[in-house]
Amino acid sequence: MSSTSQKHKDFVAEPMGEKPVMALAGIGEVLGKRLEEKGFDKAYVVLGQFLVLKKDEELFRDWLKDTCGANAKQQGDCYGCLKEWCDAFL
Amino acid sequence: MASAQLTDEELFSQLKRLGFTPGPVTENTRPVYLKKLKKLREEQQQRGSRVLKSRASTAVSTAVSIAAPRPSRHDVTQLSAIRKPGRKSSVLGFSSDESDAETPLKRKGLAKHRRITPCHQQLAGPTDKQNIAGTTLNLFSSPLDHHQSVHESSRHYDESGDEGEEEPESPHSVNGREVTGLNKTAGEYSDSDEDGVLSGDRERNLPEPRRSRTAAPISPSDNRDSQVKGKNSSPNPPGFRKMVRAEDEEVNGEEVDPFGGSQRYARKSIYVSLAEQRGAKAGKNHFDSEDGAARSNSGARFSVGLRPRFSGYSSPAQTHKGNHSNHSPPPNHAYSPTAPKKKLSVPEDELLLQFRREEPASSGSFSAHYLSMFLLTTACLFFLLLGLMYLRMRGSVEADGVSKYPAGSTFTCFFNASKVNFKLSLMLEMCFLMSRLLGEDPHVPVTDVSEISQLESTHPRMPFTCRLRKAFVTVGSKVVLVAAAAAMVWGVVRYLKFRWRRQEEETRQMYDMVERIIDVLRTHGEACQENQDLLPYLPIPHVRDSLVLPQDRKKMKKIWGRAVCFLSANESRIRTETQRIGGADFLVWRWIQPSLSCDKANPMPSKVWQGQAFPLDRRNSPPNSLTPCLKIRNMFDPVMEVGENWDLAIHEAILEKCSDNDGIVHIAVDKNSREGCVYVKCLTAEHSGKAFKALHGSWFDGKLVTVKYLRLDRYHQRFPQAQACSTPLKASSLRLSSTPSQQRASSAS
Repeated sequence: MSSTSQKHKDFVAEPMGEKPVMALAGIGEVLGKRLEEKGFDKAYVVLGQFLVLKKDEELFRDWLKDTCGANAKQQGDCYGCLKEWCDAFL
Repeated sequence: MASAQLTDEELFSQLKRLGFTPGPVTENTRPVYLKKLKKLREEQQQRGSRVLKSRASTAVSTAVSIAAPRPSRHDVTQLSAIRKPGRKSSVLGFSSDESDAETPLKRKGLAKHRRITPCHQQLAGPTDKQNIAGTTLNLFSSPLDHHQSVHESSRHYDESGDEGEEEPESPHSVNGREVTGLNKTAGEYSDSDEDGVLSGDRERNLPEPRRSRTAAPISPSDNRDSQVKGKNSSPNPPGFRKMVRAEDEEVNGEEVDPFGGSQRYARKSIYVSLAEQRGAKAGKNHFDSEDGAARSNSGARFSVGLRPRFSGYSSPAQTHKGNHSNHSPPPNHAYSPTAPKKKLSVPEDELLLQFRREEPASSGSFSAHYLSMFLLTTACLFFLLLGLMYLRMRGSVEADGVSKYPAGSTFTCFFNASKVNFKLSLMLEMCFLMSRLLGEDPHVPVTDVSEISQLESTHPRMPFTCRLRKAFVTVGSKVVLVAAAAAMVWGVVRYLKFRWRRQEEETRQMYDMVERIIDVLRTHGEACQENQDLLPYLPIPHVRDSLVLPQDRKKMKKIWGRAVCFLSANESRIRTETQRIGGADFLVWRWIQPSLSCDKANPMPSKVWQGQAFPLDRRNSPPNSLTPCLKIRNMFDPVMEVGENWDLAIHEAILEKCSDNDGIVHIAVDKNSREGCVYVKCLTAEHSGKAFKALHGSWFDGKLVTVKYLRLDRYHQRFPQAQACSTPLKASSLRLSSTPSQQRASSAS
């Protein structure tokens, strides 16, 4: 069982509602700020992007890297978080 | 093709043309898709450059890339989708040690040792590897899988071959170690697979006698190819492409076989050469060397990379050089370029001959088999000889092999007396005859000629059958004796064990009874203290009748008697008296211990549910119930449990707690687990979800219970009897004494 962070668990446990983008696993202050500057101010916007990329891991990770400069771990965390959220709620 | 000027639609269509179905191209996704397009183009160009010099290069590559990647992409995503849930859902509530959702997948991949799953994992990145076509269908079907995976991974190998063999193409291979393993296996498989592929293709291209030769290896590849065909419209071009690619690598007109084919031909030609030499050299030597070649071949099969392996092939070939000069060139060429079709026909015949000759010459495993048979036969012969010698020797020293020739009067009358005496004295002195001289009494040594009355032959000449019979008889009787002794011993042991167990059982029952009596008396005593109307003593027969069911009374009589004796001897809080009740004299028990508060704190807390520790919400339980099977932890401590049927008490407790849930069909208490595990199977996932909510986080018997979901197939593996259970279990309402509830529980389940 891969270990997931508390942030991940918190995010996945309930519908995201209006949670800020920093509530996503892997997205901290810095990355969150960058995303907000680009217009992704809420977690659901990032979710939208994730879905537009058809939940493809590679594409999403690339996008994340391009948009806010996330490293591989952060990309993975974010992807995993969103994917699981989708599995649970979508 | 400057990507900057592409509009969204163009980008979209270009990606589609390369076989990748993109999502909507928006301003956000544009850069990502551009990158993707670039990557796809690069790959395509790499592939294309290999076939630049050949004829149908671009057409082939585009055809291939068009045909395959789209289904492959989908397959890959499907596959990754299949894989991921197993891994990700192990987050919440999934019993990891039991479920191992990923490891069976991995193990299956591993068991095929052909790591098709890591193959796919790696290929999930660069999606246009066209080799994945059709694989997911056959992912978990075995016999052709080898070939399939070989086929697929061989193509992968082709593409990655240029990059320096072991380098994975995708920028992020998901599992690094699997990748390297994959490349290894890819290497090895492409080898044998290229055989199959190319020969299959060649078959199509050249409908010739080749077919007969490669009948055996063709058929699997045929099947595979036909399957692949279903998915991939052009299996032919890839093989062809490979052929022409191989030609590219090294131009050497001599070698006519396709690369992969020559590998195998090389191997077989080694055998051919060996077969030829078999007449020349000593047999054993040769088998070893052939064995060695076979083993080195098989070992070489699994070595990394094609080139080193090929040198492995060539070295045994070289060691067996001799009169097969015309066969050795094939193995000696590392990369055999593929000549165009026309050139193939002539040397094909040579190879055909080769094959026909070496088909009867079996593979290296034969020598190993032969060796083992040889050893076996020698061992048998050895033992046989031993037995015969034994017989002979035995015959010689057997006492009852003696034929006694009465040498008394008849002997003397044959010869005149002096001669007799002379002879006998001679014999007496020298005993050169193979006989012993016996007097009247066989055991007393003979000293005088006149005492001789019998001759005993010490080396009797008995016929073989006689000896054999005697030997059998003796051996047989001894064996029977030994067997009888062993059986007796075993019988005695069994009986003792049985006795011991029965005694244990009885003692335990007695103690049980004693405890119950004490309980009854104590409660009665306490009740008496509160209520002064009651008599402070209880007649013994009344107690018995209240504790023991009528149907058991006869059985329990002995136990009851022992319990009574025990109480009178050992229990100080109960006094046995005689009282007159209702006009009759009874032996009664009086509880004489004043009620102590400490006594109430029973060392054995009853098995009850004691409330919920934390509210179940999304954070600590999975949002939906995953499987119909549960594993409950920490319900008991196996060290602390006393009594025989505490597990049934636990059954009861669980059923009670989930009394509103009528979907529990099987409960199993793992008595030996240190964690106190109980396994529960429900009818459906919904029922198990309800049970989960009821049980998880509750306090039971002073312990906090946790529940996890368990995979159904693992559960069935562990408890095969649960597969048949489909009737819901009900808790028994009575929990007074264990016996009635036992019966009821057993009848309910």
